[in-house]
Amino acid sequence: MSNTGSPWKLLSLAAALPILVIVAIDISLGDDIHPDSFKRFGNALLTSYVLTGLLLMGNLFFYADSRHRPLAPFVGMMFAVGIGVLISWSLVSYDDLLLEDNSGMRAQMLSNIVRLMVSSTAMLLASMLAIGTTFAMITGRKRRVLFEEEE
Amino acid sequence: MDSMVEAAIWFWIPLLLVPIGLWLILSDKSKNLGKILSTSGFILVLISSWTVPSSDSTAAGHLLLSILAPTLLLAYGIHGMVFGGNVPVGKLDSTARWSGIFAVIISIAIFCLMHWYNFTPLWRDGNINPYWIVFWPTFLIFSTSLCSAASLALISFGDNRVGEAVKLAGLSVIMAGVTLVAIIFDGYLTSAEEFRDYLWLAAADIIGTITGVILAIGAFAIVIWMYEKSLPLPENSLPPSDEEIKHVVKLASAHIGGEEE
Repeated sequence: MSNTGSPWKLLSLAAALPILVIVAIDISLGDDIHPDSFKRFGNALLTSYVLTGLLLMGNLFFYADSRHRPLAPFVGMMFAVGIGVLISWSLVSYDDLLLEDNSGMRAQMLSNIVRLMVSSTAMLLASMLAIGTTFAMITGRKRRVLFEEEE
Repeated sequence: MDSMVEAAIWFWIPLLLVPIGLWLILSDKSKNLGKILSTSGFILVLISSWTVPSSDSTAAGHLLLSILAPTLLLAYGIHGMVFGGNVPVGKLDSTARWSGIFAVIISIAIFCLMHWYNFTPLWRDGNINPYWIVFWPTFLIFSTSLCSAASLALISFGDNRVGEAVKLAGLSVIMAGVTLVAIIFDGYLTSAEEFRDYLWLAAADIIGTITGVILAIGAFAIVIWMYEKSLPLPENSLPPSDEEIKHVVKLASAHIGGEEE
């Protein structure tokens, strides 16, 4: 490793910087923050929390053979996911805090799931491009001789 | 049939079958059943815009079908680029690297044509698929961000990787450039103003989704930690009996061959 400092902070900055530059250019063109941005953030957060929780619950069920399927973590996870559903339900129904252009709570929740599916696909594809290109860069370099004995 | 029931049968249940099938594949219990369930579920989701045209949710299935070809081309290109290089196993012919680079460029070009030319996925009455404008800015922002982070990661964690990091930073700049062009110039069916609006929503989507996933994993870790902490310490087992020792010696001698030196 060539850098002995804290690379994670730098990596977070490197990930955030291009977005900040694009947003800065967007603002300089006269645009303001979209009024539904907070609603979108809240809906994305709660939906991904609940769905990831359900996926992890599924993993608990399918992988727990060696531990004789203990009930306690399953119930604990159900409780954690239940809290997420309850918060989603209350925020969507209370004063339309998280309700976007949908007719009601059920339509909003279904729309959230579909939107998450689409944005997750976009993020997966972007990850495939970025991680794949990184590996391609790593494997693209000619093999270096580390020890004389290798020759 | 009620449109809600139709949507449940032809879209939501198949969508649910995909993770169930994947769980079955991963759990090593019914791999074949898992493959059948996830594949058939995925295909039914892809064709849902024909099976339940009345449901708005099926626009997502339509979008996935529309981007399937460039996605497969991208995957093929990445595979060729990685395995056409210096890899210890599964090495492809060196031309695979160049054909891979070409495939990746073509796939990104197709995505661009879907925004600026008439390849745009169309939904009802010739209107643009509503999820395309969710997918496109999310893909651009996330790839810009990840390529930038990956470039710095190569320098931070790698040894003498400046050249490769510069190339990755170049890709990040290209993706940011495509985003800027979309911010300034109108697309085939979407205006630059609409794109700018959806850029904010895409950023909110990305940050919200990542935060939600981290919170869920955190909750999962806490639940498992609390359960493991509540378990009693395992008791010491009794020493093996003479019978058990004899059995072990018998097994060992049956498996160890060769003469003493």
